[in-house]
Amino acid sequence: MVGVVIVSHSQKVAEGIREMALQMSAPEQKIIAAGGMADGGIGTDAFQVSEAIISANTGDGVAVMVDLGSAVLSTETAFEFLDEDLRAKVQIADAPILEGAISAVVEASLGSALAAVIATAEGARTLNKM
Amino acid sequence: MTEIQVTITNVSGLHARPAAQFVQKAATFKSKVKIVANNKVADGKSILAVMSMGLKQNAQITITTEGEDEKECSKALEDMIKSKFGEE
Repeated sequence: MVGVVIVSHSQKVAEGIREMALQMSAPEQKIIAAGGMADGGIGTDAFQVSEAIISANTGDGVAVMVDLGSAVLSTETAFEFLDEDLRAKVQIADAPILEGAISAVVEASLGSALAAVIATAEGARTLNKM
Repeated sequence: MTEIQVTITNVSGLHARPAAQFVQKAATFKSKVKIVANNKVADGKSILAVMSMGLKQNAQITITTEGEDEKECSKALEDMIKSKFGEE
């Protein structure tokens, strides 16, 4: 099953989204929060993100959800820390972090491949609420 | 093809968690699943499609299933909706 990593500048945001996503996940599904800096401050930490990706991977790859700006840069740096096999199986979803994470988790819970999980997360951009 | 009419009775409607439960249940069957409501049709195995339907409490929907396990699939989805997705 594809794993999901949530990268936010805030540890609380990442944990909160993870908590919501867990409501809709399959029991064995990996959803890992990578929020904030090591000292608890606001920011993104490439090392923490790479560790999260490694924990989230069960062999089928990992979809990474990001919030704003440097979350993307830190995630791209994190990719550099990964071994080649894993690097080929991780992808950032260009999607709103909460809606994307929820959609990605549900898609992954169906057993879909990484490309489908990313496509569903990105589809959440146009999800109407009203 | 099997077709059933059901009313959504749980308070939050077919949104978020119930939508996820619906899609996850539908995906355990081989049959194609469609939801028809408000002149719209959604793929019952697509979370985005189901959430986009915006189905609220008391919405009347038609579920069509087509495939070798369509009857079991139809029954399982109907039971889940009637049990209000375990909300209360």
